[in-house]
Amino acid sequence: MKKKHLKALLMIVLSLALTLTACSGKRQGESTESQITIGIPQDVEDSLDPHKAVAAGTEEVFFNMFEGLVKPDSDGNLNPAVASDYKVSEDEKIYTFTLREGVKFHDGSLVTVEDVKYSIERCADTSEGGPLVAAFSNIVSVNATDDKTIEIVLAEPDADFLASMDTAIIPASNTTPESVAIGTGPYKFVSHAPQESFVMEKFDEYWGEAAHIDKVTLKVCANTDSIVMNLNGGSIDMFSRLTATQVSQLNNNFEVLEGTMNLVQALYLNNGVEPFNNEKVRQALCYAIDKQYILDMTSDGHGTPVGTSMFPAFGKYYMPELADYYTKDVEKAKALLKEAGYPEGFSFTIKVPSNYTPHIETTQVIAEELKAINVDAKIELIEWETWLSDVYSGRKFEGTVIGLDASSLTASSMLLRFNSDSSKNFINYSNPEYDAAYARAVGTTNQEERTAAFKECQQILTETAANVYIQDMAEFVAINKKYAGYEFYPLYVQDYSKLYIVGEE
Amino acid sequence: MKYVGKKIITMCLTLILVSFLVFLCFTVIPGDPALAKLGTEATPERVEALRKEMGLDRPFMVRYGDWLYSFVKGDMGESYSYGLPVKEMLADKVPITVTMSVMSILIIVAVSIPLGLYTAKHEGSVTDRVIYALNQVVMAVPAFFAGILITLLFGIVLKLFTPGGYISYNQSVAGFLGYMIFPSIAIALPKISMTVKLLRSGLIGEKKLDYTRTAYSRGNNTKGVLYKHVLKNAMLPIITFLGMTFTDIIAGSIIVEQVFGIPGMGRILLTSISNRDYPVVMAIIVCLAAAVIIINGLVDLVYQWIDPRIRLEGES
Repeated sequence: MKKKHLKALLMIVLSLALTLTACSGKRQGESTESQITIGIPQDVEDSLDPHKAVAAGTEEVFFNMFEGLVKPDSDGNLNPAVASDYKVSEDEKIYTFTLREGVKFHDGSLVTVEDVKYSIERCADTSEGGPLVAAFSNIVSVNATDDKTIEIVLAEPDADFLASMDTAIIPASNTTPESVAIGTGPYKFVSHAPQESFVMEKFDEYWGEAAHIDKVTLKVCANTDSIVMNLNGGSIDMFSRLTATQVSQLNNNFEVLEGTMNLVQALYLNNGVEPFNNEKVRQALCYAIDKQYILDMTSDGHGTPVGTSMFPAFGKYYMPELADYYTKDVEKAKALLKEAGYPEGFSFTIKVPSNYTPHIETTQVIAEELKAINVDAKIELIEWETWLSDVYSGRKFEGTVIGLDASSLTASSMLLRFNSDSSKNFINYSNPEYDAAYARAVGTTNQEERTAAFKECQQILTETAANVYIQDMAEFVAINKKYAGYEFYPLYVQDYSKLYIVGEE
Repeated sequence: MKYVGKKIITMCLTLILVSFLVFLCFTVIPGDPALAKLGTEATPERVEALRKEMGLDRPFMVRYGDWLYSFVKGDMGESYSYGLPVKEMLADKVPITVTMSVMSILIIVAVSIPLGLYTAKHEGSVTDRVIYALNQVVMAVPAFFAGILITLLFGIVLKLFTPGGYISYNQSVAGFLGYMIFPSIAIALPKISMTVKLLRSGLIGEKKLDYTRTAYSRGNNTKGVLYKHVLKNAMLPIITFLGMTFTDIIAGSIIVEQVFGIPGMGRILLTSISNRDYPVVMAIIVCLAAAVIIINGLVDLVYQWIDPRIRLEGES
C-alpha cells in the first residue's frame, strides 16, 4: 500500500519534471532572426484601423507601422516622410506636398497620390459626426495636381496644420482596414492575440533607415505587480513608464533611462462650482502646496515642477519661470481664504482614477498639505471609465488629479481646452481675457506674435490659478543591457525601429 | 427522461435570467462604452456617432432582445474595443481556462483521495496528525496567495519556471502545459486540504457503522472493506464537493490568471468590464454560467449512478 503511494507520487513528480524541462527549452532552435520582447501596460485595445484608433497605448504602437506625409522625430521636429517635400503658401491656406518616390506599402504596392487623397479625405469626412482628425474640419479640398503632387486647401489659415499631417497614409485598395493593417512604417503587422501579445516584423522595403531588430513582440503585462518580476525573470526585455519604486527593485541586467512623461499633472479644479469659482480660493490652494515636496514624497524627487498647462518638451512655448509663481506660504493661503469668505476653511472631494497609482499618491500628499490651511480634502477613488463619464464629460466634480497630455506638439493642443466654449473645457474655466489671447494666437500667421499670445494664455492660467499645477512626471524606461538605442519622444510614441542589439551594430 | 427534460428547461431559464441581470447591471453602473473608447479625445459629435454605431441609442429592452436573439442563433456579436468577433476572441481563450481547471481538478483528485484514504486508515497516527495540521494551514491560504508564494519559491528562488513567461499553446503544447502546472497547483492546494478533510471524516464516520462491521465479520480484509464499501458511501459528499469545486475553480481561475500572467478568460473579462465592452462580458459570463449549470447537472447524473435512490425520489 505504502509503496504504491510512493510510486504514484514519484510518477507525478517525474511528469512534472518532464514537462518543466520541456518548458525551459522554450527558445528552441537558435534562429538567426533577432528579436525583442517588450512589455506594454495595456493591450492595443482598438481595431487595426489607424484612423479610428484613439487609445494612447494604440497610437504609440502604430507609430511603428503607419506614417503620414510628415513624421515627428525625437526632438519634436516634423520631417518629411511619405512626402519628400512640402510647401506652405504665404497665407497659410494651401499646403502642397510632393510624394516621395518609391515609398512602398507593406503589401508591396507603391504609394500613389490617390492613396494620400483617400486617407486624408477619409479622416476629414464628416458624415459620421465630426471628422476623425479635428484639425481636418478646416479642409476645403484635397487635390492631386499630378501623379506626385497633392495640394490641400484650407478655409482658414492654420500654422499648426502640418502637425496633423502625421495622419497615417493607408492604401485606398484596402477595404477592411480594421482587420488588415497596411501602412508604410518600418515595421509591419504580424499578429495580435487580445490581452496576450502583439507581434510586428521588420519591413524590408522601408524607404528610410531600416529597423535593426527583425521581430518585435509586445507582451501585455496587465498586472503592474508582475512587471518587475517579468523583467527580472527575463520574459520581457524592455518596459517603459516604470515608477521609481519599480526601478529600485530591478536587478543589474537593466539599464534605466529617465525621461519625462510629457503631461501636466495637476489638481484640476472645477471652476464652475463653489468654492472654486472664487479665484482667491484657488490661489490659496496653490500657496498651500509645495511641488518639490510632492515630488520628494512620491518619486524620490524625480519629475519637473510646472506652473501652467504646458510642459518642457514644448521648447519655445514653455515658460519655466511660471513653476515658481506660487511658493508655499501657509499664512498667505489662510489670509486669501479669509478674504474669500472661508476663514474656517472648507471641505471638498478629489476624485482620482483608481488605476493610476502616481496620481493617487500625489493626491494623498496634497490632501495632507491642505490640512495646514484647514481645508479638508476627501479622496474618492473611481474607475477610469467613471472618471471619463462623470468628471470629464459630465463635469460633476470639485477637484481631480490627472495628467493631461498633448495629442500633437502644438500649443493649441494644450491650451484649446481652457476656452470658455470648448467642449473639452471640463474644468469650466471661463475668462474673456484668456479667450481673447487665445483667439489672437490662432488668428495670426506671425510666429513671434503667436508665441507671445500663447505665452500670455499660460500666464493668465497661472495668475488666475485655474488649477493647482504640479509637475511633468518622470518616466523610467528599463531596457536589458543586451539592447540599446531607446529614444524618448516629446509625444506619446515608442520608436522600436531605433532599438538594436549591442555588439551587432 | 422527464427528469432530464425538466432539468434542461430550468437550466435555460437560469441562463436567461443571468444574462438579463448582467445586461441590466451594465445600464445601471456609470461609464459609457463609446466614451470609454474615445477617451479624452471625445467630442460630443463623435461620441454620438459611435453610440449609434454600437447601437446604444436604442431602448434597453430592444438591445437585450436583439442580443438574446443573435446569441441564440450563435452570434455573440463584435467586441467594441477590438472590432473582432467575440466568438473568435473567446475561441483562443477558452482552452486556456479549461486546461487550467481540468488540470487542477485532476491534481485535486490524484492527491486528495489517496491522502484521505491514508489518513482515515491510519487515524490517530503521527502522519495523520501531521497531515491534519498541514491541512489546517493550507486550507487557510487562498489560491491567489498560494500563487504568489509558489511564484516566489519555484519561480524566483528555485527557477523551475519563468514567472510571467507564459507560453501560448500555439507555440508549444508541452511548454504551455508545463507553465500551467504551477497555477493549477496554486488553485488546487486549498481545495486538496478541504477534500482530504471531508473524505477523512466521511470514511471514519462510515467505518463506525454497522454494515462495516458486518463486512468485516464476513471475512473481508481492511483493504476490501475500505475500497468496496466504505469509500463508495463516503464518496457521495465528495462528489458534491468536487462539483462545487470545479465551478469554483472556473470562476476562481480569473484571479490566479492575474497572478501568473496568463492571458485566459479572466484577463479578457476584467479588461472588458473596465472598457464597458459588453458583448465580450456578456458572452464570457453566459459561458461561465452555462459551465456551472452543466457541471451541476452532471453531478446530479453521477449521483444517480452511484446512488439510485436519488433518481427514484426525483421522479416521484
